[in-house]
Amino acid sequence: MNVIEIKNLTKMYGKARGIENVSFNVEEGEIFGFIGPNGAGKSTTIRTLLSLIYPTSGSAAIFGKDIITAAPEIKKDIGYLPSEVFYYDNMKVIDLLKYSASFYKKDCTKRIRELAEIMELDLTKKIDDLSLGNKKKVGIVQGLLHEPKLIILDEPTSGLDPLMQQKFFDLLEKENKKGATILFSSHILSEVQRLCDRVAIIKDGRIVTVEKISTLKENTYKKFKVETKSEIGMEHFNVEGVNQLEKDGSTISFLFRGNINSIMKKIAEIEIANIWVEEPDLEEIFMHYYERED
Amino acid sequence: MNMFLHELKAYRKSTIVWTLSLVALVILFLSMFPSFSKDAEEFKKLLEGFPVEVRKAIGLSIDSIATLLGFYSYAFLYLKLAGAIQAMNLGTSILSKESREKTADFLLTKPVTRKQVVTAKVMAALVSLILTNIVFIMLSFVMASIVAGDEFSKKVFFLLSITLFFIQLMFLALGIIISVIFPKIKSVISVSLGTVFGFFMLGMISSTTDDKALRYLTPFYYFDSAYIVKNTGYENSFLVTGIILIIAAVAASYYLYAKKDVHSV
Amino acid sequence: MNIFKREMKANRKSLMIWSIGVIFMVASGMGKYSSLEGSGQSMNALMADMPKSMQAIMGTGSLDLSSPIGYFGVLFLYLAVMAAIDAAMLGANIISKEERDKTVEFLLVKPISRTSMINSKLLAALVNILIFNLVTFASSVAMVGKYAEGDDVTGEVTTLMIGMFILQLIFLVIGTAIAAFYKNAKKATSLATGILLFLFILSIAIDLNEKLDGLKYFTPFKYYDAKYILNEGGFDSLYLGLSALLILTLSIVTYVFYRKRDMNI
Repeated sequence: MNVIEIKNLTKMYGKARGIENVSFNVEEGEIFGFIGPNGAGKSTTIRTLLSLIYPTSGSAAIFGKDIITAAPEIKKDIGYLPSEVFYYDNMKVIDLLKYSASFYKKDCTKRIRELAEIMELDLTKKIDDLSLGNKKKVGIVQGLLHEPKLIILDEPTSGLDPLMQQKFFDLLEKENKKGATILFSSHILSEVQRLCDRVAIIKDGRIVTVEKISTLKENTYKKFKVETKSEIGMEHFNVEGVNQLEKDGSTISFLFRGNINSIMKKIAEIEIANIWVEEPDLEEIFMHYYERED
Repeated sequence: MNMFLHELKAYRKSTIVWTLSLVALVILFLSMFPSFSKDAEEFKKLLEGFPVEVRKAIGLSIDSIATLLGFYSYAFLYLKLAGAIQAMNLGTSILSKESREKTADFLLTKPVTRKQVVTAKVMAALVSLILTNIVFIMLSFVMASIVAGDEFSKKVFFLLSITLFFIQLMFLALGIIISVIFPKIKSVISVSLGTVFGFFMLGMISSTTDDKALRYLTPFYYFDSAYIVKNTGYENSFLVTGIILIIAAVAASYYLYAKKDVHSV
Repeated sequence: MNIFKREMKANRKSLMIWSIGVIFMVASGMGKYSSLEGSGQSMNALMADMPKSMQAIMGTGSLDLSSPIGYFGVLFLYLAVMAAIDAAMLGANIISKEERDKTVEFLLVKPISRTSMINSKLLAALVNILIFNLVTFASSVAMVGKYAEGDDVTGEVTTLMIGMFILQLIFLVIGTAIAAFYKNAKKATSLATGILLFLFILSIAIDLNEKLDGLKYFTPFKYYDAKYILNEGGFDSLYLGLSALLILTLSIVTYVFYRKRDMNI
């Protein structure tokens, strides 16, 4: 079952582009990564899903319900953590969390204590006096206290120290095991690689690809590095399927996609000193998608 | 209900401060009435000999100037001014503060409709104003009974006093619609003071020119004290216009607030 | 210089709105004069006999209402209130807005001292109130001159405007001092306007009741009274001294407290 279904979603800010024809689905129980650099349209998509802004055209459904007409109903089961958290001044942490909990018709007191303990959050402090990282923790507790079925995270880790990040990820994985679906937007690819099952890559407001991370890494690309005995021109490898061809002295590196036999033959034609074949990390795949059309 | 209580709590301090200020103001003015009425009695005879334009320019009806109700009407101008600022502040800030304090993301990702958000906030503002008015009217009555030399019409006094609430409702609605149309208000007090004083000045002008059309543009003069004192009632045309304006502004606010995009910070 | 320019630009729109407001005020206020003109002499006789509290309610005092400049003296009170509100809000705003809008980090990590930052901001505020004053001056000379039929009123208007300028200065530094001293940046402007309204009401109360006369030193609105200025053709040196003392003290407060201030972001 698809928890999120997005169909040709377009948002224009006047004439300026927000997102164009964005379509993808997020399945129940998966951790879905949403990656792209600043300004690509990640937040616009997420804010549209949360009906904070309204689409120019296209539609989307969460839990099979339309995001605009069924917004309040959908939100009962959504937890949202924005990249920057701002809360009401002059409120204690516990007051804010209670206020937040009061929107969901269930008792969250125990859960608040639990989460606060995991995140090492002092509930009696005033929000004004908290550091950025601690405000973030409030955001995390606030987003998870009602045990949402869908967790939407918009670049959530900024401001958290590595230790807390680890705890936060553990928490997310635990929620995921319990059945929560997670939409995780980020430009920090190592996070996504570590956590997510599938990713959508967005560029200039359009979805470039939606793929399993394992597929992206294993089947699609291989990273080759070849050290030659004598220096040869890199044109030798300039064949179909080769990308990001680079040469540094006697070392030539490239990404390859296609029939692995054809590239092995190419390598066999020359005298080599050493060879490395690696799975590319997400970063390189990402760069590949971003540089391809430029 | 939670939102309503939250808002009410958020405005508790300002409601108390405004209520106390209004009460202090009315006590201050009314406490001067005894000495004033003594001065005025002597002067009243003198005033009668002068042409009508003079009296009109001065803006007070000769018959009522030395009475408690007349004096109260005069003081009421300043009470209206203060009350309007309170209501305008409340109206301008209550919907816009979420985007100003960047808490819109928090509130609007909760399982509530925007309509419910507006309703809770408008109700909280309304209750704040009602509480202010209850305290204000009660203490005004107490004060008036203390300083009044002779009998005065309690009904007229009430009708005068309650116009504070009506005017506040108009400015509340005005503030709400302004805050929805211009969501990026940074300083509420500048906007509300500017608007209130603008209308106040406009009112001063229309009160002397006797231009009826102009009067419709100034909420301060929808409820003419002299008319109320004389007829023990309000001018229907203004009452109806006022109600229509309030309903239209609030309805438009609901519509616009539900439609608007909430941008990230 | 860059801060100065930035502030001038930031306040341009509000200055324009205030300027239009004050021109409108002068024009419409003096427009009312024409309706009074005919009854001038009898009016004067009437006013002279009026008890002080009555004069206060009429807002006239011992001004010669039959002459345009005398009438302008009545208007002056409202102009002065407007100018004071503008100045107080400007002063409080210009200092507190950096914290309110969370831009203070941006500014204070630049290689400038807090003192030079306030210098630029105060200078910008000063230019703003000066422009406000000059706009009032120009529109007043034009409008009063129109009714004065040849009499030269520039001198009297100039004296009044100098008085208004000192009043503006006082309220400007009241605003800046509050913003520098008061911890909650969001409330600084409200507090400044609150104090202003209180002082204004106090000045009215003093007019209404002679027993309160001793309080007149506490409200700057009593320092530059149109009656006194027009009758004497100058200022009371006691009030001038008080003004200078106030401006100086509050300026020092502004600098000292802002330099020590813990920025809250």
